[in-house]
Amino acid sequence: MTSTMIAKETESRQPTAGRRSIFGNNAHRLAYLFVLPALVLVILFRIVPLIWGLGYSFTDYNGMSTPTFVGVQNYVAIAHDPVFLDSLINMLILLATLPIWIGLPLVLAILIHQGVPGGKLFRAVYFFPAVLSSVIVGAIFNMLLRYDGSFNAALKAMGFSAIDWLGNSNTALFSLIAVQLWATFGMSLLIFLAGLSTVPSDMLEAAKLDGAKLMQTWWYIVIPSIRPIIEFAAVVTTIGMLTSMFGLIYVLTAGGPGTATTLPEFLIWLEQGKMNRPGYASAISMVLFLMMGGLAWIQIRIMSKNADL
Amino acid sequence: MAAVERKQKRVLWAISIPMAILALSAVYPIFFTINAALKTRKGFVLDRFGLATDPTFANFSQAWNQSRLSEYFTNSVVVTIGAVLLLLLVSSLAGYALAILRFRGSKLIFTIILVSLMIPVQVVLVPFYRTMIALDLINSRAGLIIAYTAFFLPFSVYLMTAFYARLPRELFEAAQIDGAGLVQVWWHIMLPMGKPALITLGILNTLYCWNDLLISLLVLQDQRTLMVGIAALRGEYTTNVPLLAAGICLAAAPIVIIYMIFQRQIVSGIAVGAVKG
Repeated sequence: MTSTMIAKETESRQPTAGRRSIFGNNAHRLAYLFVLPALVLVILFRIVPLIWGLGYSFTDYNGMSTPTFVGVQNYVAIAHDPVFLDSLINMLILLATLPIWIGLPLVLAILIHQGVPGGKLFRAVYFFPAVLSSVIVGAIFNMLLRYDGSFNAALKAMGFSAIDWLGNSNTALFSLIAVQLWATFGMSLLIFLAGLSTVPSDMLEAAKLDGAKLMQTWWYIVIPSIRPIIEFAAVVTTIGMLTSMFGLIYVLTAGGPGTATTLPEFLIWLEQGKMNRPGYASAISMVLFLMMGGLAWIQIRIMSKNADL
Repeated sequence: MAAVERKQKRVLWAISIPMAILALSAVYPIFFTINAALKTRKGFVLDRFGLATDPTFANFSQAWNQSRLSEYFTNSVVVTIGAVLLLLLVSSLAGYALAILRFRGSKLIFTIILVSLMIPVQVVLVPFYRTMIALDLINSRAGLIIAYTAFFLPFSVYLMTAFYARLPRELFEAAQIDGAGLVQVWWHIMLPMGKPALITLGILNTLYCWNDLLISLLVLQDQRTLMVGIAALRGEYTTNVPLLAAGICLAAAPIVIIYMIFQRQIVSGIAVGAVKG
Protein backbone atom coordinates (compact mmCIF):
# COMPACT_ATOMS: atom_id res chain seq x y z
CA MET A 1 0.00 0.00 0.00
CA THR A 2 2.90 2.35 -0.44
CA SER A 3 4.18 3.74 -3.71
CA THR A 4 1.13 3.39 -5.96
CA MET A 5 -1.05 4.82 -3.23
CA ILE A 6 1.15 7.84 -2.81
CA ALA A 7 1.16 8.44 -6.56
CA LYS A 8 -2.61 8.29 -6.65
CA GLU A 9 -2.85 10.48 -3.64
CA THR A 10 -0.84 13.32 -5.14
CA GLU A 11 -2.91 13.11 -8.30
CA SER A 12 -6.13 13.33 -6.39
CA ARG A 13 -5.09 16.12 -4.08
CA GLN A 14 -5.71 18.96 -6.40
CA PRO A 15 -6.63 22.23 -4.79
CA THR A 16 -10.35 21.79 -5.14
CA ALA A 17 -12.88 23.43 -2.92
CA GLY A 18 -13.98 20.01 -1.77
CA ARG A 19 -11.43 19.40 0.96
CA ARG A 20 -14.31 19.72 3.36
CA SER A 21 -17.42 17.69 2.86
CA ILE A 22 -18.10 16.73 -0.73
CA PHE A 23 -21.59 15.53 0.05
CA GLY A 24 -23.36 18.74 0.85
CA ASN A 25 -24.44 20.20 4.16
CA ASN A 26 -26.72 17.42 5.18
CA ALA A 27 -23.74 15.11 5.33
CA HIS A 28 -22.32 16.75 8.43
CA ARG A 29 -24.84 15.36 10.80
CA LEU A 30 -24.42 11.83 9.47
CA ALA A 31 -20.66 12.18 9.64
CA TYR A 32 -20.89 13.00 13.34
CA LEU A 33 -23.06 9.96 13.75
CA PHE A 34 -20.47 7.76 12.05
CA VAL A 35 -17.70 8.83 14.37
CA LEU A 36 -19.88 8.80 17.47
CA PRO A 37 -19.50 5.11 18.47
CA ALA A 38 -15.71 5.37 18.41
CA LEU A 39 -15.75 8.63 20.31
CA VAL A 40 -18.17 7.40 22.97
CA LEU A 41 -16.20 4.20 23.61
CA VAL A 42 -12.92 6.04 23.92
CA ILE A 43 -14.30 8.75 26.19
CA LEU A 44 -16.36 6.43 28.35
CA PHE A 45 -13.74 3.74 28.92
CA ARG A 46 -10.48 5.63 28.75
CA ILE A 47 -10.69 9.37 29.11
CA VAL A 48 -13.37 9.58 31.80
CA PRO A 49 -11.70 6.78 33.82
CA LEU A 50 -8.41 8.66 33.60
CA ILE A 51 -9.96 11.77 35.10
CA TRP A 52 -11.90 9.70 37.60
CA GLY A 53 -8.69 7.89 38.58
CA LEU A 54 -6.93 11.18 39.07
CA GLY A 55 -9.75 12.07 41.46
CA TYR A 56 -9.48 8.72 43.32
CA SER A 57 -5.78 9.24 43.81
CA PHE A 58 -6.55 12.14 46.15
CA THR A 59 -8.98 10.13 48.28
CA ASP A 60 -8.83 7.35 50.85
CA TYR A 61 -11.22 5.20 48.80
CA ASN A 62 -10.98 1.52 49.78
CA GLY A 63 -13.48 -0.01 47.39
CA MET A 64 -16.51 0.30 49.63
CA SER A 65 -16.40 3.46 51.72
CA THR A 66 -17.42 6.81 50.32
CA PRO A 67 -14.18 8.37 49.20
CA THR A 68 -13.05 11.35 51.25
CA PHE A 69 -10.50 13.86 50.05
CA VAL A 70 -7.09 13.37 51.61
CA GLY A 71 -4.96 15.63 49.44
CA VAL A 72 -1.60 14.27 48.35
CA GLN A 73 -1.51 11.74 51.18
CA ASN A 74 -1.47 8.79 48.78
CA TYR A 75 1.41 10.29 46.85
CA VAL A 76 3.37 10.89 50.03
CA ALA A 77 2.63 7.33 51.09
CA ILE A 78 3.83 5.76 47.85
CA ALA A 79 7.00 7.82 47.98
CA HIS A 80 7.73 6.07 51.28
CA ASP A 81 6.48 2.66 50.26
CA PRO A 82 9.48 0.31 49.92
CA VAL A 83 7.52 -1.95 47.57
CA PHE A 84 6.79 0.92 45.21
CA LEU A 85 10.39 2.10 45.39
CA ASP A 86 11.56 -1.44 44.62
CA SER A 87 9.24 -1.52 41.62
CA LEU A 88 10.73 1.76 40.40
CA ILE A 89 14.26 0.42 40.75
CA ASN A 90 13.27 -2.71 38.84
CA MET A 91 11.80 -0.50 36.17
CA LEU A 92 15.00 1.54 35.91
CA ILE A 93 17.04 -1.65 35.53
CA LEU A 94 14.66 -2.75 32.78
CA LEU A 95 14.91 0.63 31.04
CA ALA A 96 18.70 0.51 31.24
CA THR A 97 18.63 -2.55 28.96
CA LEU A 98 17.00 -0.53 26.16
CA PRO A 99 20.16 -0.41 23.98
CA ILE A 100 20.03 -4.21 23.68
CA TRP A 101 16.34 -4.09 22.71
CA ILE A 102 17.17 -1.69 19.90
CA GLY A 103 20.67 -2.81 18.94
CA LEU A 104 19.97 -6.51 18.55
CA PRO A 105 16.99 -6.20 16.19
CA LEU A 106 18.65 -3.32 14.35
CA VAL A 107 21.77 -5.31 13.55
CA LEU A 108 19.67 -8.31 12.55
CA ALA A 109 17.43 -6.16 10.37
CA ILE A 110 20.40 -4.59 8.58
CA LEU A 111 21.92 -8.00 7.99
CA ILE A 112 18.67 -9.36 6.58
CA HIS A 113 18.32 -6.25 4.44
CA GLN A 114 21.88 -6.69 3.17
CA GLY A 115 20.87 -10.09 1.87
CA VAL A 116 22.11 -12.63 4.38
CA PRO A 117 21.32 -16.05 2.92
CA GLY A 118 18.00 -17.26 4.31
CA GLY A 119 16.96 -13.77 5.38
CA LYS A 120 13.26 -14.26 4.70
CA LEU A 121 13.20 -17.40 6.81
CA PHE A 122 15.07 -15.65 9.61
CA ARG A 123 12.55 -12.82 9.57
CA ALA A 124 9.63 -15.23 9.86
CA VAL A 125 11.28 -17.23 12.64
CA TYR A 126 12.47 -14.26 14.68
CA PHE A 127 9.09 -12.64 14.59
CA PHE A 128 7.17 -15.78 15.42
CA PRO A 129 7.40 -15.56 19.25
CA ALA A 130 5.95 -12.04 19.06
CA VAL A 131 2.54 -13.36 18.00
CA LEU A 132 2.35 -15.63 21.05
CA SER A 133 0.64 -14.21 24.12
CA SER A 134 2.68 -13.39 27.18
CA VAL A 135 0.73 -16.11 29.02
CA ILE A 136 1.92 -18.74 26.55
CA VAL A 137 5.47 -17.42 26.63
CA GLY A 138 5.41 -17.22 30.42
CA ALA A 139 4.07 -20.75 30.81
CA ILE A 140 6.66 -22.16 28.40
CA PHE A 141 9.55 -20.47 30.16
CA ASN A 142 8.19 -21.39 33.53
CA MET A 143 8.52 -25.04 32.51
CA LEU A 144 12.04 -24.41 31.29
CA LEU A 145 13.46 -22.08 33.93
CA ARG A 146 11.94 -23.38 37.16
CA TYR A 147 14.41 -24.82 39.64
CA ASP A 148 13.29 -28.34 38.80
CA GLY A 149 12.81 -27.28 35.19
CA SER A 150 14.39 -28.47 32.02
CA PHE A 151 17.05 -25.81 31.66
CA ASN A 152 18.58 -26.79 34.97
CA ALA A 153 18.27 -30.45 34.07
CA ALA A 154 20.32 -29.73 30.97
CA LEU A 155 22.87 -27.72 32.96
CA LYS A 156 23.26 -30.53 35.48
CA ALA A 157 23.64 -33.08 32.73
CA MET A 158 26.51 -30.99 31.39
CA GLY A 159 28.13 -30.88 34.81
CA PHE A 160 27.13 -27.37 35.89
CA SER A 161 25.23 -26.63 39.05
CA ALA A 162 21.58 -25.65 38.90
CA ILE A 163 20.53 -22.05 39.37
CA ASP A 164 17.12 -20.98 40.63
CA TRP A 165 16.56 -18.61 37.69
CA LEU A 166 13.09 -17.48 38.76
CA GLY A 167 13.31 -18.01 42.52
CA ASN A 168 16.55 -16.16 43.23
CA SER A 169 16.19 -12.41 43.58
CA ASN A 170 19.53 -11.88 41.85
CA THR A 171 18.50 -13.66 38.66
CA ALA A 172 14.69 -13.39 38.55
CA LEU A 173 14.51 -9.89 37.05
CA PHE A 174 17.11 -10.70 34.43
CA SER A 175 15.30 -13.90 33.54
CA LEU A 176 12.10 -11.91 33.13
CA ILE A 177 13.82 -9.32 30.95
CA ALA A 178 15.53 -11.96 28.84
CA VAL A 179 12.27 -13.82 28.23
CA GLN A 180 10.45 -10.64 27.24
CA LEU A 181 13.31 -9.72 24.92
CA TRP A 182 13.15 -13.20 23.39
CA ALA A 183 9.43 -12.78 22.87
CA THR A 184 9.38 -9.30 21.38
CA PHE A 185 12.61 -8.43 19.57
CA GLY A 186 11.00 -9.58 16.31
CA MET A 187 8.57 -6.69 16.56
CA SER A 188 11.30 -4.04 16.34
CA LEU A 189 13.01 -6.12 13.69
CA LEU A 190 9.95 -5.75 11.47
CA ILE A 191 9.76 -2.01 12.11
CA PHE A 192 13.43 -1.63 11.15
CA LEU A 193 13.00 -3.74 8.02
CA ALA A 194 10.08 -1.56 6.94
CA GLY A 195 12.26 1.50 7.50
CA LEU A 196 15.20 0.02 5.64
CA SER A 197 13.04 -0.71 2.61
CA THR A 198 12.60 3.05 2.21
CA VAL A 199 16.36 3.72 2.02
CA PRO A 200 17.15 4.52 -1.62
CA SER A 201 19.36 1.75 -2.97
CA ASP A 202 21.36 4.07 -5.26
CA MET A 203 22.75 5.68 -2.13
CA LEU A 204 24.13 2.32 -1.09
CA GLU A 205 25.38 1.62 -4.62
CA ALA A 206 27.21 4.93 -4.70
CA ALA A 207 28.83 4.16 -1.37
CA LYS A 208 29.87 0.76 -2.67
CA LEU A 209 31.44 2.35 -5.77
CA ASP A 210 33.40 4.64 -3.52
CA GLY A 211 34.80 1.51 -1.97
CA ALA A 212 33.13 2.02 1.39
CA LYS A 213 33.31 -0.98 3.67
CA LEU A 214 30.15 -2.72 4.81
CA MET A 215 30.42 -1.30 8.31
CA GLN A 216 31.00 2.21 6.99
CA THR A 217 27.91 2.17 4.81
CA TRP A 218 25.89 1.02 7.82
CA TRP A 219 27.21 3.63 10.14
CA TYR A 220 27.30 6.62 7.81
CA ILE A 221 24.41 5.97 5.45
CA VAL A 222 21.97 3.29 6.57
CA ILE A 223 21.57 4.14 10.24
CA PRO A 224 21.29 7.94 9.79
CA SER A 225 18.69 7.50 7.07
CA ILE A 226 16.42 5.40 9.28
CA ARG A 227 17.03 7.43 12.40
CA PRO A 228 13.38 8.49 12.76
CA ILE A 229 12.38 4.82 12.62
CA ILE A 230 14.92 3.95 15.30
CA GLU A 231 13.54 6.70 17.50
CA PHE A 232 10.00 5.46 16.93
CA ALA A 233 11.02 1.91 17.85
CA ALA A 234 12.80 3.17 20.97
CA VAL A 235 9.69 5.04 22.08
CA VAL A 236 7.37 2.12 21.39
CA THR A 237 9.73 -0.33 23.11
CA THR A 238 9.99 1.88 26.19
CA ILE A 239 6.21 2.20 26.39
CA GLY A 240 6.03 -1.57 26.11
CA MET A 241 8.48 -1.92 29.01
CA LEU A 242 6.27 0.27 31.16
CA THR A 243 2.91 -1.21 30.22
CA SER A 244 3.18 -4.61 28.50
CA MET A 245 4.92 -6.77 31.05
CA PHE A 246 1.86 -7.66 33.14
CA GLY A 247 1.02 -10.99 31.51
CA LEU A 248 4.56 -12.28 31.65
CA ILE A 249 5.06 -11.25 35.28
CA TYR A 250 1.71 -12.79 36.23
CA VAL A 251 2.59 -16.17 34.78
CA LEU A 252 6.38 -16.34 35.10
CA THR A 253 7.18 -14.95 38.54
CA ALA A 254 4.06 -13.32 40.04
CA GLY A 255 6.26 -10.37 40.95
CA GLY A 256 8.56 -12.39 43.20
CA PRO A 257 10.59 -13.57 44.85
CA GLY A 258 9.70 -10.78 47.25
CA THR A 259 9.53 -7.73 45.07
CA ALA A 260 12.33 -8.79 42.72
CA THR A 261 10.20 -8.74 39.57
CA THR A 262 7.45 -6.34 40.64
CA LEU A 263 7.07 -3.49 38.17
CA PRO A 264 4.73 -0.53 38.76
CA GLU A 265 2.05 -1.89 36.41
CA PHE A 266 2.00 -5.17 38.35
CA LEU A 267 1.92 -3.36 41.66
CA ILE A 268 -1.19 -1.47 40.53
CA TRP A 269 -2.90 -4.80 39.97
CA LEU A 270 -1.83 -6.10 43.40
CA GLU A 271 -2.91 -2.93 45.16
CA GLN A 272 -6.33 -2.65 43.58
CA GLY A 273 -7.15 -6.34 43.96
CA LYS A 274 -5.56 -8.11 46.87
CA MET A 275 -5.05 -5.20 49.16
CA ASN A 276 -8.23 -3.35 48.38
CA ARG A 277 -6.65 0.06 48.23
CA PRO A 278 -7.92 1.52 44.96
CA GLY A 279 -7.20 5.11 46.02
CA TYR A 280 -3.61 4.15 46.64
CA ALA A 281 -3.48 2.10 43.42
CA SER A 282 -4.78 5.11 41.50
CA ALA A 283 -1.92 7.22 42.80
CA ILE A 284 0.56 4.66 41.44
CA SER A 285 -1.42 4.66 38.18
CA MET A 286 -1.00 8.41 37.88
CA VAL A 287 2.74 8.18 38.44
CA LEU A 288 2.94 5.51 35.72
CA PHE A 289 0.83 7.70 33.45
CA LEU A 290 3.16 10.65 33.96
CA MET A 291 6.19 8.50 33.23
CA MET A 292 4.84 7.22 29.96
CA GLY A 293 2.83 10.27 28.98
CA GLY A 294 5.73 12.14 27.43
CA LEU A 295 6.86 9.09 25.52
CA ALA A 296 3.39 8.35 24.25
CA TRP A 297 3.06 11.96 23.17
CA ILE A 298 6.12 11.56 20.93
CA GLN A 299 4.67 8.36 19.48
CA ILE A 300 1.38 10.07 18.72
CA ARG A 301 3.13 13.02 17.11
CA ILE A 302 5.01 10.70 14.77
CA MET A 303 1.90 8.66 13.99
CA SER A 304 -0.30 11.64 13.24
CA LYS A 305 2.40 13.13 11.02
CA ASN A 306 2.63 9.85 9.12
CA ALA A 307 -1.14 9.59 8.76
CA ASP A 308 -1.05 12.35 6.15
CA LEU A 309 -4.30 13.98 7.14
CA MET B 1 35.63 -3.94 -6.88
CA ALA B 2 34.51 -7.46 -7.63
CA ALA B 3 36.86 -8.66 -4.93
CA VAL B 4 35.22 -6.35 -2.42
CA GLU B 5 31.82 -7.66 -3.38
CA ARG B 6 32.92 -11.28 -3.18
CA LYS B 7 34.36 -10.61 0.22
CA GLN B 8 31.11 -9.04 1.38
CA LYS B 9 29.23 -12.11 0.19
CA ARG B 10 31.52 -14.37 2.16
CA VAL B 11 31.06 -12.21 5.24
CA LEU B 12 27.30 -12.44 4.87
CA TRP B 13 27.47 -16.22 4.61
CA ALA B 14 29.60 -16.37 7.72
CA ILE B 15 27.14 -14.14 9.55
CA SER B 16 24.22 -16.35 8.65
CA ILE B 17 25.60 -19.06 10.95
CA PRO B 18 25.14 -17.19 14.25
CA MET B 19 21.81 -15.95 12.89
CA ALA B 20 20.74 -19.53 12.31
CA ILE B 21 21.72 -20.43 15.86
CA LEU B 22 19.64 -17.52 17.12
CA ALA B 23 16.75 -18.73 14.97
CA LEU B 24 17.05 -22.17 16.54
CA SER B 25 16.89 -20.61 20.00
CA ALA B 26 13.75 -18.78 18.91
CA VAL B 27 11.99 -22.00 17.93
CA TYR B 28 13.46 -24.48 20.39
CA PRO B 29 11.21 -23.59 23.37
CA ILE B 30 8.22 -24.10 21.13
CA PHE B 31 9.52 -27.40 19.84
CA PHE B 32 10.24 -28.44 23.42
CA THR B 33 6.65 -27.68 24.43
CA ILE B 34 5.08 -29.65 21.60
CA ASN B 35 7.44 -32.53 22.25
CA ALA B 36 6.65 -32.52 25.98
CA ALA B 37 2.91 -32.48 25.27
CA LEU B 38 3.27 -35.73 23.35
CA LYS B 39 4.92 -37.57 26.24
CA THR B 40 3.37 -39.32 29.20
CA ARG B 41 4.11 -37.83 32.58
CA LYS B 42 6.46 -40.66 33.37
CA GLY B 43 8.04 -40.53 29.96
CA PHE B 44 8.76 -36.84 30.46
CA VAL B 45 10.37 -37.34 33.86
CA LEU B 46 12.60 -40.09 32.47
CA ASP B 47 13.64 -38.14 29.38
CA ARG B 48 12.80 -34.46 29.08
CA PHE B 49 14.65 -33.65 25.89
CA GLY B 50 14.50 -36.76 23.77
CA LEU B 51 12.09 -36.97 20.90
CA ALA B 52 8.67 -38.31 21.86
CA THR B 53 9.07 -41.59 20.02
CA ASP B 54 5.79 -43.03 21.24
CA PRO B 55 3.53 -39.97 21.05
CA THR B 56 0.36 -39.91 23.12
CA PHE B 57 -2.56 -37.53 22.72
CA ALA B 58 -3.96 -38.27 26.16
CA ASN B 59 -2.66 -34.95 27.51
CA PHE B 60 -4.58 -33.03 24.89
CA SER B 61 -7.87 -34.73 25.63
CA GLN B 62 -7.32 -34.39 29.38
CA ALA B 63 -6.57 -30.67 29.07
CA TRP B 64 -9.49 -30.19 26.72
CA ASN B 65 -12.05 -32.05 28.82
CA GLN B 66 -11.06 -32.34 32.50
CA SER B 67 -9.25 -29.02 32.68
CA ARG B 68 -12.19 -27.38 30.91
CA LEU B 69 -10.11 -25.79 28.18
CA SER B 70 -12.94 -26.54 25.74
CA GLU B 71 -15.18 -24.19 27.71
CA TYR B 72 -12.49 -21.48 27.86
CA PHE B 73 -11.80 -21.98 24.19
CA THR B 74 -15.44 -21.25 23.37
CA ASN B 75 -15.34 -18.12 25.50
CA SER B 76 -12.22 -16.89 23.73
CA VAL B 77 -13.65 -17.60 20.30
CA VAL B 78 -16.93 -15.82 21.02
CA VAL B 79 -15.28 -12.81 22.59
CA THR B 80 -12.56 -12.49 19.95
CA ILE B 81 -14.93 -12.75 17.00
CA GLY B 82 -17.41 -10.34 18.58
CA ALA B 83 -14.77 -7.76 19.43
CA VAL B 84 -13.03 -7.97 16.06
CA LEU B 85 -16.27 -7.48 14.13
CA LEU B 86 -17.26 -4.56 16.34
CA LEU B 87 -13.79 -3.03 15.97
CA LEU B 88 -13.93 -3.26 12.19
CA LEU B 89 -17.42 -1.77 12.05
CA VAL B 90 -16.71 1.12 14.40
CA SER B 91 -13.29 1.95 12.98
CA SER B 92 -14.30 1.86 9.32
CA LEU B 93 -17.23 4.17 10.03
CA ALA B 94 -15.01 6.51 12.01
CA GLY B 95 -12.25 6.39 9.41
CA TYR B 96 -14.75 7.23 6.69
CA ALA B 97 -16.05 10.22 8.62
CA LEU B 98 -12.61 11.48 9.66
CA ALA B 99 -10.72 11.00 6.41
CA ILE B 100 -13.32 11.50 3.68
CA LEU B 101 -16.29 13.42 5.01
CA ARG B 102 -14.36 15.77 7.29
CA PHE B 103 -16.40 18.18 9.29
CA ARG B 104 -15.80 20.90 11.82
CA GLY B 105 -13.91 19.28 14.68
CA SER B 106 -12.96 16.11 12.83
CA LYS B 107 -9.27 16.74 13.38
CA LEU B 108 -9.86 17.30 17.07
CA ILE B 109 -11.81 14.05 17.31
CA PHE B 110 -9.02 12.22 15.51
CA THR B 111 -6.55 13.66 18.02
CA ILE B 112 -8.71 12.69 21.00
CA ILE B 113 -8.96 9.11 19.78
CA LEU B 114 -5.24 8.96 19.09
CA VAL B 115 -4.33 10.51 22.44
CA SER B 116 -6.27 7.79 24.23
CA LEU B 117 -3.47 5.49 23.06
CA MET B 118 -1.59 7.10 25.93
CA ILE B 119 -3.99 5.57 28.44
CA PRO B 120 -3.28 1.86 28.92
CA VAL B 121 -5.50 -0.34 31.06
CA GLN B 122 -3.12 -0.29 34.02
CA VAL B 123 -3.39 3.47 34.30
CA VAL B 124 -7.19 3.39 34.56
CA LEU B 125 -7.56 -0.02 36.21
CA VAL B 126 -9.65 1.04 39.19
CA PRO B 127 -12.07 3.51 37.57
CA PHE B 128 -12.37 1.34 34.45
CA TYR B 129 -13.45 -1.55 36.66
CA ARG B 130 -15.94 0.73 38.45
CA THR B 131 -17.31 1.91 35.10
CA MET B 132 -17.81 -1.68 34.00
CA ILE B 133 -19.70 -2.43 37.22
CA ALA B 134 -21.83 0.69 36.88
CA LEU B 135 -22.81 -0.30 33.33
CA ASP B 136 -23.48 -3.87 34.42
CA LEU B 137 -20.85 -5.18 32.02
CA ILE B 138 -18.84 -7.19 34.55
CA ASN B 139 -18.92 -10.95 34.20
CA SER B 140 -20.43 -10.97 30.77
CA ARG B 141 -18.89 -11.85 27.47
CA ALA B 142 -20.68 -8.88 25.88
CA GLY B 143 -18.95 -6.69 28.47
CA LEU B 144 -15.56 -8.10 27.53
CA ILE B 145 -16.31 -7.53 23.84
CA ILE B 146 -17.05 -3.87 24.57
CA ALA B 147 -13.96 -3.54 26.77
CA TYR B 148 -11.72 -4.97 24.05
CA THR B 149 -13.28 -2.69 21.49
CA ALA B 150 -12.65 0.34 23.67
CA PHE B 151 -9.01 -0.56 24.30
CA PHE B 152 -7.99 -1.70 20.85
CA LEU B 153 -9.97 0.96 19.01
CA PRO B 154 -7.57 3.92 18.77
CA PHE B 155 -5.06 2.08 16.65
CA SER B 156 -7.84 0.72 14.41
CA VAL B 157 -9.34 4.15 13.87
CA TYR B 158 -5.87 5.50 13.17
CA LEU B 159 -5.16 2.88 10.55
CA MET B 160 -8.54 3.20 8.80
CA THR B 161 -8.32 7.00 8.75
CA ALA B 162 -4.77 6.99 7.40
CA PHE B 163 -5.72 4.40 4.79
CA TYR B 164 -8.85 6.18 3.59
CA ALA B 165 -7.03 9.52 3.46
CA ARG B 166 -4.79 8.07 0.77
CA LEU B 167 -7.59 6.88 -1.50
CA PRO B 168 -8.27 9.03 -4.56
CA ARG B 169 -11.15 11.38 -3.87
CA GLU B 170 -12.60 11.02 -7.38
CA LEU B 171 -14.10 7.77 -6.20
CA PHE B 172 -16.42 9.48 -3.78
CA GLU B 173 -17.06 12.48 -5.94
CA ALA B 174 -18.34 10.14 -8.65
CA ALA B 175 -20.61 8.48 -6.12
CA GLN B 176 -21.90 11.86 -5.06
CA ILE B 177 -22.85 12.70 -8.62
CA ASP B 178 -24.67 9.38 -8.75
CA GLY B 179 -26.63 10.62 -5.78
CA ALA B 180 -25.69 7.75 -3.52
CA GLY B 181 -26.34 8.33 0.17
CA LEU B 182 -23.54 8.32 2.71
CA VAL B 183 -24.52 4.94 4.08
CA GLN B 184 -24.53 3.44 0.60
CA VAL B 185 -21.15 4.97 -0.15
CA TRP B 186 -19.80 3.45 3.05
CA TRP B 187 -21.24 0.04 2.21
CA HIS B 188 -20.54 -0.08 -1.53
CA ILE B 189 -17.31 1.88 -1.74
CA MET B 190 -15.59 2.38 1.62
CA LEU B 191 -15.83 -1.20 2.83
CA PRO B 192 -14.62 -2.82 -0.41
CA MET B 193 -11.92 -0.20 -0.92
CA GLY B 194 -10.78 -0.53 2.66
CA LYS B 195 -10.35 -4.27 2.42
CA PRO B 196 -6.54 -4.42 2.73
CA ALA B 197 -6.60 -2.28 5.88
CA LEU B 198 -9.62 -4.13 7.27
CA ILE B 199 -7.91 -7.49 6.78
CA THR B 200 -4.76 -6.27 8.52
CA LEU B 201 -6.81 -4.89 11.39
CA GLY B 202 -8.92 -8.02 11.61
CA ILE B 203 -5.82 -10.16 12.03
CA LEU B 204 -3.96 -7.88 14.43
CA ASN B 205 -7.01 -7.39 16.62
CA THR B 206 -7.62 -11.14 16.64
CA LEU B 207 -4.12 -11.55 18.05
CA TYR B 208 -4.61 -8.81 20.64
CA CYS B 209 -7.99 -10.09 21.85
CA TRP B 210 -7.02 -13.75 21.86
CA ASN B 211 -3.76 -13.04 23.72
CA ASP B 212 -5.11 -10.62 26.32
CA LEU B 213 -4.86 -11.48 30.00
CA LEU B 214 -5.35 -8.33 32.08
CA ILE B 215 -8.66 -7.05 30.71
CA SER B 216 -10.10 -10.54 30.73
CA LEU B 217 -9.01 -11.16 34.35
CA LEU B 218 -10.70 -7.95 35.33
CA VAL B 219 -13.97 -8.27 33.41
CA LEU B 220 -14.77 -11.98 33.39
CA GLN B 221 -14.64 -13.43 36.86
CA ASP B 222 -16.81 -16.53 36.92
CA GLN B 223 -15.99 -17.49 33.36
CA ARG B 224 -12.54 -17.68 31.91
CA THR B 225 -10.96 -16.98 28.58
CA LEU B 226 -8.28 -19.33 27.36
CA MET B 227 -5.36 -17.19 28.54
CA VAL B 228 -6.79 -16.90 32.05
CA GLY B 229 -7.36 -20.65 31.95
CA ILE B 230 -3.76 -21.35 30.93
CA ALA B 231 -2.43 -19.04 33.63
CA ALA B 232 -4.53 -20.96 36.18
CA LEU B 233 -3.44 -24.31 34.74
CA ARG B 234 0.17 -23.19 35.16
CA GLY B 235 -0.49 -22.69 38.86
CA GLU B 236 -2.39 -25.93 39.39
CA TYR B 237 -0.24 -28.38 37.48
CA THR B 238 3.29 -27.38 38.31
CA THR B 239 4.39 -31.00 38.35
CA ASN B 240 2.46 -32.29 35.37
CA VAL B 241 4.47 -30.64 32.63
CA PRO B 242 3.04 -32.67 29.69
CA LEU B 243 -0.51 -31.67 30.60
CA LEU B 244 0.43 -28.00 30.85
CA ALA B 245 2.36 -28.26 27.61
CA ALA B 246 -0.70 -29.73 25.88
CA GLY B 247 -2.82 -26.87 27.18
CA ILE B 248 -0.28 -24.38 25.88
CA CYS B 249 -0.33 -26.02 22.45
CA LEU B 250 -4.12 -25.92 22.29
CA ALA B 251 -4.23 -22.26 23.31
CA ALA B 252 -1.52 -21.23 20.87
CA ALA B 253 -2.69 -23.33 17.92
CA PRO B 254 -5.20 -20.85 16.45
CA ILE B 255 -2.63 -18.04 16.59
CA VAL B 256 0.06 -20.17 15.00
CA ILE B 257 -2.32 -21.11 12.18
CA ILE B 258 -3.29 -17.48 11.65
CA TYR B 259 0.37 -16.48 11.60
CA MET B 260 1.17 -19.07 8.99
CA ILE B 261 -1.69 -18.05 6.71
CA PHE B 262 -1.54 -14.28 7.15
CA GLN B 263 2.14 -13.66 7.78
CA ARG B 264 2.30 -11.01 5.07
CA GLN B 265 -0.57 -8.96 6.48
CA ILE B 266 0.75 -9.19 10.04
CA VAL B 267 4.20 -8.11 8.93
CA SER B 268 2.85 -5.11 7.02
CA GLY B 269 0.51 -4.17 9.88
CA ILE B 270 3.21 -4.07 12.55
CA ALA B 271 5.14 -1.25 10.95
CA VAL B 272 2.09 0.95 10.36
CA GLY B 273 2.54 4.28 12.04
CA ALA B 274 6.31 3.99 12.07
CA VAL B 275 6.79 4.46 8.37
CA LYS B 276 5.02 6.97 6.22
CA GLY B 277 2.60 5.46 3.71
